[in-house]
Amino acid sequence: MFPAIESLAMTFPTLLADKNADFWFPIQGSSFAEEVDWVYDLILYISLAFFVPMMVFMVWCLFKYIKARGTKAESQLSHHTTLELTWSIGPSVLLVWMFVQGSISFLDMRSPPEGSYDIGLQAFKWGWTMDYGNGTFHPELHIVKDEPTKLSMRSTDVIHSVFIPAFRVKKDVVPGRYNYMWFQPTIASEQISDEQLAKLKKQNEGTAWDYDKVHTIETEDGEKEVQVTPEGYTFFDLYCAEYCGTNHSEMQTVVVVHETQADLDAWIKANSSRGEVSMEEWGELLYGRRGCSGCHSVDGSKLVGPSFKDVYGSQHGLTTGENQLVDENYVRESILAPKAKVVAGYQPVMPSYKGQLSDDDIASIIAYLKSISANASSQPAAAEAEPEAESAE
Amino acid sequence: MSNATLPAGARDPGYPTERENYLTNSSGILSWVFTLDHKRIGMMYLIGVVSAFAIGGLLALAIRLHLLKPDGLLFTGAEGNNIYNQVFTLHGAIMVFLFIIPSIPAALGNFLVPVMLGAKDVGFPRLNLSSFYLWVFGALFFVSALFSSGLDTGWTFYTPYSTTTDTSVILATLGAFILGFSSIFTGLNFIVTINTMRPPGMTWFKMPLFLWATYATSIIQVLATPVLGITLLLLIAERTMHIGIFDPEFNGDPVTYQHFFWFYSHPAVYIMILPAFGIISELISVHSHKHIFGYRFIAYSSIAIALLGFLVWGHHMFTAGMSSLTTIVFSALTFTVSVPSAIKVFNWLATMYKGSISLTTPMCYAISFIFLFTIGGLTGLFLGTLATDLHLHDTYFVVAHFHYVMVGGTLIAFLGGVFHWWPKMVGKLYNETHGRIASLLVFLGFNGTFLPQFVLGSRGMPRRYATYDPEFAFLHQLSTFGALLLGVGLLYAFIVLMVSLAKGRRAPANPWGGVTLEWQCTSPPPYYNFERPPVVGDPYDFHNLEWDAENERYVMTEPERKLVPESTPDEVPAHAGGQK
Repeated sequence: MFPAIESLAMTFPTLLADKNADFWFPIQGSSFAEEVDWVYDLILYISLAFFVPMMVFMVWCLFKYIKARGTKAESQLSHHTTLELTWSIGPSVLLVWMFVQGSISFLDMRSPPEGSYDIGLQAFKWGWTMDYGNGTFHPELHIVKDEPTKLSMRSTDVIHSVFIPAFRVKKDVVPGRYNYMWFQPTIASEQISDEQLAKLKKQNEGTAWDYDKVHTIETEDGEKEVQVTPEGYTFFDLYCAEYCGTNHSEMQTVVVVHETQADLDAWIKANSSRGEVSMEEWGELLYGRRGCSGCHSVDGSKLVGPSFKDVYGSQHGLTTGENQLVDENYVRESILAPKAKVVAGYQPVMPSYKGQLSDDDIASIIAYLKSISANASSQPAAAEAEPEAESAE
Repeated sequence: MSNATLPAGARDPGYPTERENYLTNSSGILSWVFTLDHKRIGMMYLIGVVSAFAIGGLLALAIRLHLLKPDGLLFTGAEGNNIYNQVFTLHGAIMVFLFIIPSIPAALGNFLVPVMLGAKDVGFPRLNLSSFYLWVFGALFFVSALFSSGLDTGWTFYTPYSTTTDTSVILATLGAFILGFSSIFTGLNFIVTINTMRPPGMTWFKMPLFLWATYATSIIQVLATPVLGITLLLLIAERTMHIGIFDPEFNGDPVTYQHFFWFYSHPAVYIMILPAFGIISELISVHSHKHIFGYRFIAYSSIAIALLGFLVWGHHMFTAGMSSLTTIVFSALTFTVSVPSAIKVFNWLATMYKGSISLTTPMCYAISFIFLFTIGGLTGLFLGTLATDLHLHDTYFVVAHFHYVMVGGTLIAFLGGVFHWWPKMVGKLYNETHGRIASLLVFLGFNGTFLPQFVLGSRGMPRRYATYDPEFAFLHQLSTFGALLLGVGLLYAFIVLMVSLAKGRRAPANPWGGVTLEWQCTSPPPYYNFERPPVVGDPYDFHNLEWDAENERYVMTEPERKLVPESTPDEVPAHAGGQK
C-alpha cells in the first residue's frame, strides 16, 4: 500500500548500523555485555511501565476535562495523603532494585581475576599504543577469546577514555596515574582469506587503509559485507570517549580477538621486529602504526605537527628563532625528546617515544623520511650543508 | 469599561493608566539604564537571555548541520575539527552560563517574585541592578573570548586540557566567574525578599509554589556558586603559575578538578530545573482551574531536591577511577534525588484530573514539559545505574538525556512561563492559535532532534565528535532534521510574541483565571505593583473566581467572610518575629 514506507521499514535496521547489532545495542562481544544489556532492559521496561500509563492518563485528562472557559472544575481536592505516600514509596522500591542490580554488575566489572592477560595501554593526543611486552608496540588491541584481559592504562598528556561499545566497558585514562580495566571477549574476529585481502589491497592501492570502509567480499554463501584491518581481521571499534582536543573524534582504534593464544603469539611475533622487510618499508609501517600519521602528514598539508614531506634535509625555524637542519640527529632527538627543539608555529604537544622505539625502529623511520624527501639526496652529510633560506612551516 | 455582566461583589483592578504603568511611568533610555524597578530589570534580563539563547541556538544548528555527513559538512579543511570543537564549546558555555542558569530566576523571577509575594520590590534593588550589569559584563568576556582565540575546552573546562590548550580559557573562566557573582546576588536578593518582605497573611504555606521553587533555587545559588568561583580562580592560577593542583605535570591531580567542578555544577543543574518546576506548578493549576494537588509535597520536594542535589556530584565521574565504594555511594545517593522529582510529576497529573482544562498556549507547553521531563528523568535512571552508566557515559545518550531535562524541561517551562505571563508583562494578548501551532512545532522538532540520540548513544556513539563512523549517519541525519524543525518552531514562537506587541489586544488583569497575587494587579503592573496591600489567601483557591464573558477575563468576587475565633494567625510571618 505504501511501498516507500514499507521499503524504509525493511531497510531501517541496516541503515542504523552494522548488521550484527540490534536496534539498541552493538553486538555483544564480551562476557559483560549480556549482563549490562539485561540491566538496561530492566530499567527500560520499568520506565515504560511508568511512562506509558502516565502519558495515557494525561492525554485522557486532556480529552475528558477540556472545558469551555469559565467552567468551574469538577473537584477542588487539594491533597490525599495515602495516595501521595503510595506513589512516593512504591517507586522507591523499584529504584532500590535498579541500584542493586547495577551495582552487582559493576562490582564484577571492577575486579580483574587473578592471572589476567595484561596489556599496557598508552593514550596520547590522538592515538593509542598497546604494549605487548618485549618491546612490541602496536596501535591495534589484539586479545584472545575467552581470556580475561586486563589493560593497564596511562596517558601522556590529557584525560582520554577507552570505550569499547561491543564490550560495554569504558574507563578514563588519567595522566599521572594508572587506571585499570578488564573484560573477557566472547566472539573471535574472523580473518578473510589471503586472496580476498590481496584483492582488497589492490582495490585500495595508493590510499591509506580505511578501517571504516565496508568491503563486499564473496564467500561460499554469497556476498558478505565486512570491515577489516589491513591484515584482514574483522574487528570491534575502540573509541576515545573523553574530549581531548583537535582530533578527539579521530582517536579511534580497533580490537581484534584471536581464537587462540597461539594465534595471538604468532601475530605478536610477526609485529615485534622488522624481520625481512626493508628499513624504508618498516619506517612507513611505524609511521602509520605508532601515531605519527595523526599529526604529521606526508603530502605537505599542515596538521598538528610539521609535514614529513621533503622534511629531511630541509631547514626548520625553531620557536627560539634559530634555524635547525633536519638530519639524523635532529630526527632522533625529536622522537626521544620532542619538546627540546620545537618548530616555530607549532605547540610542544608531542609525547616522547623514549623506550618505545628500538634503535632499529628509529633508523627505519629516518630511512623512510629520507625516502619521501626531495632534499635528502642533495644533503649527503649534515655537517656540510649550508643553511637554506626556506624553512619548513 | 462596562461592569454590567459582572457578578455581585466582583473586584477587578481594570486597566492601568499611562502614569501607573511600570513601562511608561518614566521614559527615556536612562530611566531604564538606572532603573531600580525589579520589573524593568526582569525585562532587561529577558532581552539579554533571549539574545544569548539566539546565539547559542544558532551555534547548535551549526553543530547539527555539520553532522549531516560522517566526515562533516560545514567545518572542513585543516582547521575543521578545531572550529567544530570551538562551536560546541561555545554552544554549551553560552547556553549554560548565559541562558539556562539566569533564564527563569533572573528574567521571570525578577519580574514575578515581588509581585507574587505582594511586595513592592526586591529586598535590595541596587544589588538587583548590579547583578544585571554583572551578567552583561560576564557575557562580554565570553564574547571577547570568542573573538580572541576561541575556546575549545568544552563548557566543563576539564583539566589538564584546559590548562594546556592555547585558546582563551582565562577570558572565558573570568566571564563565568563574574556571572557567578551575578547569580549569587540574584539568589541572595530572593532569599532576603522572601524571608522579610512577605505582607501580612502571606505565610510560608500561602506562598505560590513558584516562590518555593525560587527560594530553593536561591539557596543553591548562594551556597554552590562560590565553589565554582574558587575552582575557576584555581584553574586560572594553575594555567598561569603552574601551582600544581590539577595538572599532573606539576604533581596535581586532574580528577580533583572534576570533584570541585561538579560540586557546583551538579547543584547548578537544579538551579536550572527547580524554577521550571515552579512554573509548571503554576501553569497546570491555573489552566486546569483547580487547586494544585499535594501542595506541601511539592513544596517540600523542592527543598529536598535542593539539599540532595549537593550530594550526588560524583555520578559524573563513575568512569574516572574513583574507588568502588565511593562510586556505589554516589550511585545510591543519585537514586534518592529522583524520588522528589517523580512526586512532582504525579502531583501535576493529579491536578489535571477532574479539572477544567483550557488548552491555552502556556498549557500546551506545560503538557509538553510533563512528557519531555518524564523522559528526561527516566533516562537519568540508566545513567545513575552503575553497570549501564559505564556503557552510556560520554555518549550521545548523555547528550539526549540532559537536553531532555535542560531543553525539554527548562526551556519549555521558560517558554510556557513567558507565554503565561506575557499579557501581565507587556499588557498585550497574543494570537492563541499561532501560539499553539508554534508550541506543537517546538515539541515535534525537539523530539525529532533528541529521541534518535538515545539510540545513537546506546549503540556507542561518543559525544563531542566532529566526525563519526558511517554506520551512525542515518540517526544523525534524523536528529539534524529535527533540529531544523525545532529552530523553525522557536522562531515562530518569537514572531507570535513580537506581533502581539504591535497588534495584540489589550490584556485584562486576569486573562487566564489565576488566583496568585500577580493577577490582582493591572496588566502591566503599576510601578509599585499594588495600589493597596493585596488580600492574601490560598494561592490555589479557585472558588471565588468568576468568568466575565463580555470582557473575556476572570474577576475575583469577594470571599466569603468567616468569623475567626482568635486574631492570631496559625503561622506568624518571619518579619513579625516568628513567635506565636
